[in-house]
Amino acid sequence: MRVLCCLDGTNVEQVRKAMAMLATGELWTVGLLYVIDTGPREEIGRTRQRFLRPPGSSGPREQSMRETEAEAAQEILAEGRRYFPEAETFERQGRPEREIVNVAAEWRADLVLIEARAEYGDKPRIGPKSVGHVARFVVDHAPCPVLLIRPLTGAHFPIPR
Amino acid sequence: MFSFFPIPLFWKTVLTIFIALLTLVGIMTRPFRWNEAFIALAGAALLLVLGLITPADAFRTLVQDWNTFFFFLGMMTLSALAEAAGLFDWLAVQAARLAGRSAARLFLNVFLLGSLISMLLSNDATALILTPVVYVLVTKLRLPVLPFMFACTFIADTASFLLPISNPTNIIVLSRLPLDLFTFLRLLFLPSLAAIAINLGVFFLKYRNQLKGHFDVQRLPPTDQTIRHKPYFRYTCGVLATVAAAYVTASALKFPLSIVAMGGALLLLAGALFWRQMTLRETAKRISWSIFGFIGGMFIVVRAIEDTGLTAAFGQWLLRLSGGTSFGAVLVGTAGAALGTNLINNVPMAVVMGVALGSVQHAPVPVQHGFVAATIFGCALGPNLTTVGSLATVLWLLILRQRNVDVSGLDYAKVGVMVTPLMLLAGALTIWLLL
Repeated sequence: MRVLCCLDGTNVEQVRKAMAMLATGELWTVGLLYVIDTGPREEIGRTRQRFLRPPGSSGPREQSMRETEAEAAQEILAEGRRYFPEAETFERQGRPEREIVNVAAEWRADLVLIEARAEYGDKPRIGPKSVGHVARFVVDHAPCPVLLIRPLTGAHFPIPR
Repeated sequence: MFSFFPIPLFWKTVLTIFIALLTLVGIMTRPFRWNEAFIALAGAALLLVLGLITPADAFRTLVQDWNTFFFFLGMMTLSALAEAAGLFDWLAVQAARLAGRSAARLFLNVFLLGSLISMLLSNDATALILTPVVYVLVTKLRLPVLPFMFACTFIADTASFLLPISNPTNIIVLSRLPLDLFTFLRLLFLPSLAAIAINLGVFFLKYRNQLKGHFDVQRLPPTDQTIRHKPYFRYTCGVLATVAAAYVTASALKFPLSIVAMGGALLLLAGALFWRQMTLRETAKRISWSIFGFIGGMFIVVRAIEDTGLTAAFGQWLLRLSGGTSFGAVLVGTAGAALGTNLINNVPMAVVMGVALGSVQHAPVPVQHGFVAATIFGCALGPNLTTVGSLATVLWLLILRQRNVDVSGLDYAKVGVMVTPLMLLAGALTIWLLL
């Protein structure tokens, strides 16, 4: 693996530590986190209020929404465990960016791996605003180094100098 | 009580206006998280206690509006019983199957499905029932939730003036300012299609990157899982098809739409009881009874203001503002109704506009029609401007953000601000061209 380290005159020590962590070859403890985003549910609540209903729905529909969220979360974490059988898993609910930062702090993570943004298409997005709000928040607030991951691509390069 | 004392007319007027304003401000701000129905009923009760409206007059007002009350009841019951049959879940799964794995085509299908449900079962059904159904579906399919959720909540209002029954505010406005079905469709069908096209186009542009992917059809629930009881499901489809045809016929014949809605609801209820799919108690639990308190209270409050002559003066002011032209009428009607729906709620705004425009009936027919169509259009589409509920909510969220309190709703409100003015402008111009 070839790692490109970007120096800015102040970060050589940070780069050394990060490289030391990646290159130790020691057994890593992997944690897998999935956060159920409660934002859309809050928006549904606001819509209900606009239609003069209490914000939280109840009954079978509410139960179905919760069950689906939980099933999706379990499924996604199970997929992760297929690659990292020894991994510790965390399922949280809330604003994803805040939960990620808080779990990183609580679990005393040394490194956070996060995708620049969820990619739904075949071609990864590179360019302005290609880092989503969740990754940006995590980069801004994480209590440890953050490794921003994105698919390898050679398209559209070199960019104009 | 003041009714026992001879108080001058001037002070009666001042008191009525004060209580009405207090009620509207209460609905806008909802102090202590009071329910809107409680605030509207408190305003009406205060007017009654102070003798600013007589009990007989209040009773007459409520009885005169029986069509609106029963339409709300019929509409909510129909939606609740159709939901119990699994109709919405089945339709959403069919929309996904027809999308052929493409997220973009599913997005289009959700828009079309939302339009159909709003048109035939009202915006209430799309916003409150279809939205959670689609949320569950796209969560299962691992697609981005927000674009699909916004598609549902926006199309609920954008497609809510395709037919008179598509939005309860249409019924409220039309009960005071009747338009025959042909004129309604002539003036509002094309603007509705224009608004839907703009909504769809802007959303496709905004969410183009999130809609590029595909989904795994295997993740779709089997059809058997969505239909809980086949005979009741088929019966529901049959009743709803009949009700849809009856709605159109009743609108054309100026037959009260509430009777059609209630008739359909009773037929569905009979089926649900026969096949033991719902009990009376379960059906009643799915109906929001406080809505009746809210609209009842608002009807009484607006009736009291009407007696002061203020609504007539408001109507005349709108007429002057329009310059007496059909173009002015459409612009003033649209802007006034859209702004009002975001200041208070669209239901009281429809009542206020309906009563106020009663005083412009001496204006030329194109001006009158312009005002009525624009009011229906503005009251239906206006709520999309502030998806978080009202301008008061937006202001509150802005204050919270200034205090560094984390607010997510404000980000969502941007979507409405981006697309709604475009739809309002295009729709208003189309109405004017059709006058």
